[in-house]
Amino acid sequence: MTKIVAGAALGLWGTMAQAADDVTLQLKWVTQAQFAGYYVAKDKGFYEEEGLNVTIKPGGPDIAPEQVIVGGGADVIVTWMAAGLAARERGVPLVNIAQPFKTGGLQVNCLKSTGVESPEDFAGRTMGVWFFGNEYPFYAWMASLGLETDGADENGVTVLKQAFSADPLIQGQADCISTMTYNEYNQIIEAGITPEELVTFNYLEMGFGMLEDGLYVLEDDLEDPAFKDKMVRFVRASMKGWKYAEENQEEAAEIVIENDASGAQELDHQLYMVGEVAKLTAGSNGALDPADYEQTVQTLLSAVSEENPAITKEPEGAWTHEITDEALN
Amino acid sequence: MGWVLFAVAAWLLGLLINVSLARRPSSWWVSLAAPIVFGVTLLAVWEGVVRGFGINQVLLPAPTAIAARISASADLLWADFVQTVLKGALSGYVIGCGAAFLIAVAIDRFPFLQRGLLPVGNFVAALPVIGMAPILVMWFGFDWQSKAAVVVVMVFFPMLVNTVQGLQAADAMQKDLMRTYAAGYWSTMIKLRLPCAMPFVFNGLKIGTTLALIGAIVAEFFGSPIVGMGFRISTSVGQLTLDLVWAEIFVAALAGSAFYGLMALAEQRVTFWHPSQRH
Repeated sequence: MTKIVAGAALGLWGTMAQAADDVTLQLKWVTQAQFAGYYVAKDKGFYEEEGLNVTIKPGGPDIAPEQVIVGGGADVIVTWMAAGLAARERGVPLVNIAQPFKTGGLQVNCLKSTGVESPEDFAGRTMGVWFFGNEYPFYAWMASLGLETDGADENGVTVLKQAFSADPLIQGQADCISTMTYNEYNQIIEAGITPEELVTFNYLEMGFGMLEDGLYVLEDDLEDPAFKDKMVRFVRASMKGWKYAEENQEEAAEIVIENDASGAQELDHQLYMVGEVAKLTAGSNGALDPADYEQTVQTLLSAVSEENPAITKEPEGAWTHEITDEALN
Repeated sequence: MGWVLFAVAAWLLGLLINVSLARRPSSWWVSLAAPIVFGVTLLAVWEGVVRGFGINQVLLPAPTAIAARISASADLLWADFVQTVLKGALSGYVIGCGAAFLIAVAIDRFPFLQRGLLPVGNFVAALPVIGMAPILVMWFGFDWQSKAAVVVVMVFFPMLVNTVQGLQAADAMQKDLMRTYAAGYWSTMIKLRLPCAMPFVFNGLKIGTTLALIGAIVAEFFGSPIVGMGFRISTSVGQLTLDLVWAEIFVAALAGSAFYGLMALAEQRVTFWHPSQRH
């Protein structure tokens, strides 16, 4: 019954929306080309065309988007699925409404000179890992390899909490570190280490893929037809922004630089990042592929432990096609 | 609604008890009871408000949830305490305060050093911990040594300045008296000037206790092994296990108060002669 009413109201709202609606987007990280699509959509007026007034809030190392949205600081957030599902299990009912990143950029890089060639060589090594929600795939991988994470010995590795840079590898404090294809990997290369000196393990290729940047909203908000309609327009304009960014990479990089209030980003690096991020968004029209969702859930459930408390049971209702179906047709 | 009423009732009850306590002639148990009543009231109001308004535990967990987490994760909290407080903060505190004390004595002896070293100390003290920490992690590695180094940097200057000041506390008449006794530099130092300096030294030591704890915890935000209070706080926020964050905050508050109390107690013993210790 409520669905019918909601549907009818939605149709009504779709035609009624005129005055610009405010939407606040909370990013997972600082302003950079990882979020090029949203900045492009704002800069090129795609949001405006949809009657939206979008505020993009940059994140950072001490900002958890899940906390921001539940505190009322944002309408929609960009986060990784593992973190989104973990939040859902802890009482923040997040729902994935769109998935602009089809594939993921998270990988592990080791120096060849340390003698690491395959995952069998990991025992006794020191590995840099990012936390803040990015540790879940790592723990799942280690569990499947039968490696403990409590210290370097014949069946365990030492885990370091890596800051968001490539320094530990460059300085030899870790044998392997986490990198994103579109960011820290380039830092290593720029530090003078050639790709031939590196061994790369891509989480997706190894079967521990987890969906990265997706758009999430609170479940209760979706019951409001006006909000739903806003999200339909938001997703439509955002995807238009992403596709524009894929095709006009130089312009996208410049837009990101212009919107970087911190002034910390450089054009060369952003250009590289746009190119790499475009590879991740290329396969997506914005709709979540349920098979990818399933892989993320199974990876998370394959390694439930005290250090890795992402989720303990199969989540329900954690994603919806309602928004993308409406937005993309 | 019931819980909100509970919160209001708890607040009124606490208020009533403390007002009546304040009217009583002061005695040791009144001065002990008043803050305890206040604390318990605060916890009850917190619990009532969180439950009554259904505040999401990701924003603010209830005290009972935090207590449950503390008892469930006691092993984890203890391991973090050892790593951060005993290894990081305490070793850094001892090294930093010890070095500052010795250098203060040297500065006092050689005015040349006073002109050279004090400005450098001043400069180091002005460096923000979030700027120093990543650099020190780079130099001293991820384990507790780099955290101790951050603590050394943080406690060094307050201790140095206070001790230098303290060594000038003995006045000219007292020093003249020592001279009439034919006392040399060292016996004047040990029998007169160091005791006179002690109230200042303890100021530095007490300021250092809180700085040491802050330094050790914050330094863990910039790369650490997977143990430690700062590590746990920063990663648990990411995992949205806020009850664990509050459990760590509780442990940190307890450790900080105990550390400070210990120093205050030592001060009472050492500077019993000082007018401020008379009751």
